[in-house]
Amino acid sequence: MSDYLWDPTEPPDPEVQCLEQLLGRLRTTTSAPQVTVRLKPDTTARLGMGAGDWRLAVIPMTASPKPRAPSPVRYVGVRFLAPALALAAAIALLVANTWSAARFAARSWSVAAMSGTPQIDTHRFATDTRLGVGQTLTTDARSTARIEVSTIGEVTVAENTRVRLIETRAAHHQLALDRGTLHAIITAPPGQFVVDTASARATDLGCVYTLRVDEDGTGLLSVSAGWVAFEDKGHESFVPAGASSRTDRINGPGTPSFDDADAVFHDALDRVDTERDLARRRQALAIVLQHARERDAMTLWHLIPRVGDEDRGAVVDALAFRVPMPGDVTREAAMQLDRTALDSWWNALGLLDTTWWRGWKRPLPN
Amino acid sequence: MEHVLELGRVLAVMPASSTASAVDLAATIRAVAAGDQDAFARLYGDYVRMVHAILLGRVPRRDVDDLVQEVFVAAYTRIRELREPGAFGGWLAAIARNRATDYLRHARDQDELPDDLPGGQPIEAETLAVLDAVRKLPEAYRETLLMRLVYGMSGAEIAERTGLTAASVRVNLHRGMKLLREHLGVS
Repeated sequence: MSDYLWDPTEPPDPEVQCLEQLLGRLRTTTSAPQVTVRLKPDTTARLGMGAGDWRLAVIPMTASPKPRAPSPVRYVGVRFLAPALALAAAIALLVANTWSAARFAARSWSVAAMSGTPQIDTHRFATDTRLGVGQTLTTDARSTARIEVSTIGEVTVAENTRVRLIETRAAHHQLALDRGTLHAIITAPPGQFVVDTASARATDLGCVYTLRVDEDGTGLLSVSAGWVAFEDKGHESFVPAGASSRTDRINGPGTPSFDDADAVFHDALDRVDTERDLARRRQALAIVLQHARERDAMTLWHLIPRVGDEDRGAVVDALAFRVPMPGDVTREAAMQLDRTALDSWWNALGLLDTTWWRGWKRPLPN
Repeated sequence: MEHVLELGRVLAVMPASSTASAVDLAATIRAVAAGDQDAFARLYGDYVRMVHAILLGRVPRRDVDDLVQEVFVAAYTRIRELREPGAFGGWLAAIARNRATDYLRHARDQDELPDDLPGGQPIEAETLAVLDAVRKLPEAYRETLLMRLVYGMSGAEIAERTGLTAASVRVNLHRGMKLLREHLGVS
């Protein structure tokens, strides 16, 4: 069956084609804005540019408003006093209402219903509304919603989901996901957007990710772009794009792994994270170490502090086999969970530029 | 039932084909941040359809082109704030939506003007009627459908530009089209 709506190279659907012909007339024909200015000498010097260099720059287009002359003071007769007071009261009320609305707006996020009629507290909505601090957004099996997270991104809330807005202020925005699935696209500096679940806290490090959690706190964090820190219960996972981390109320965030690893690896890793029987846990660990690819060094690095002393040597050796220790790292230091050594080894994994981590804590899991 | 956003391990992986374009995009963004005007023009060429569609679904047609320019100027001035190049599409879309919201907030104080005033290319009444129907759809459907129907972008391309998952775009397209048919009275 043709899916022309999805792929225009498929055999055409006449109805869609007709709409394309009508709406295609609305295409824009403008070109990219170009504002070129010569920068001041001190600016060019600061940027390390030559004196004659030109750069694209943007200049404000609006002029400052002209100052107004003060209004002359007039004598107001007594008979005008009552209506004037009434007007003043009305204005005061208007200002108060406006201030109150502005205060609510500053502590709330815009929400749009994408499908069905989601609910904020007990109020259902079908178009746009706002989610205030302390309020709960709930979707049922037929509704979804999109939240604009201040000015730093957006969160899409899937069906059967309940989220609460905990806090929103400069450089700190916090949601609680009680159950369901949300998809976040965040462009803020690391650490500004946080989602709490019953079993872990997801801290955005500039990324796109999906977080699903059940009522009992069992969940899965999957990262599509950037990084997310996932922490609780003394465990901390740094999950890169293309990787996921499970979580549950008993064990907290699991060891992160790349999604393209094979099922045997994932299954064994889940057992390493959750198995209570020591013998079975060690069996599972052996499978993980055996099946790990070079790319799975990220997982092995996270495992070093998570395994017992008796198994740590095997994990360190398995990681060293895939990513050799840098010159400043020794096996003994890694075995003793020396922070500097493990950080240095992390930097050798080739996952990101270390400067990227500035402004955020160093990647040492507990 | 198809879920809009439910992602398992497989769906969360970025498609291999997007890796090369992600590298290109990162390089382009770095060049723009360094003041490369050609790189800026490339970025504009790649994303103007998405931005135009987002604005067209929200603000009067006569002002859309001006706002498109403003969105790209804003993106240019703030591009150093973007830490993750892969999130550029979503970031730019958020700027466009915020700009539209600001525009509408200021427009509330002024008289509403009809959408078919003189200015720009003359547009037939049927086109405006369909546009009006699309604008009545929920936001996500509206944007996705306008990218598809105004610019002929494929679902995969819309997903790549916006940062949405392919599954989400597919649902938006199909549900949006179903609702549009209902709005237009097509059985």
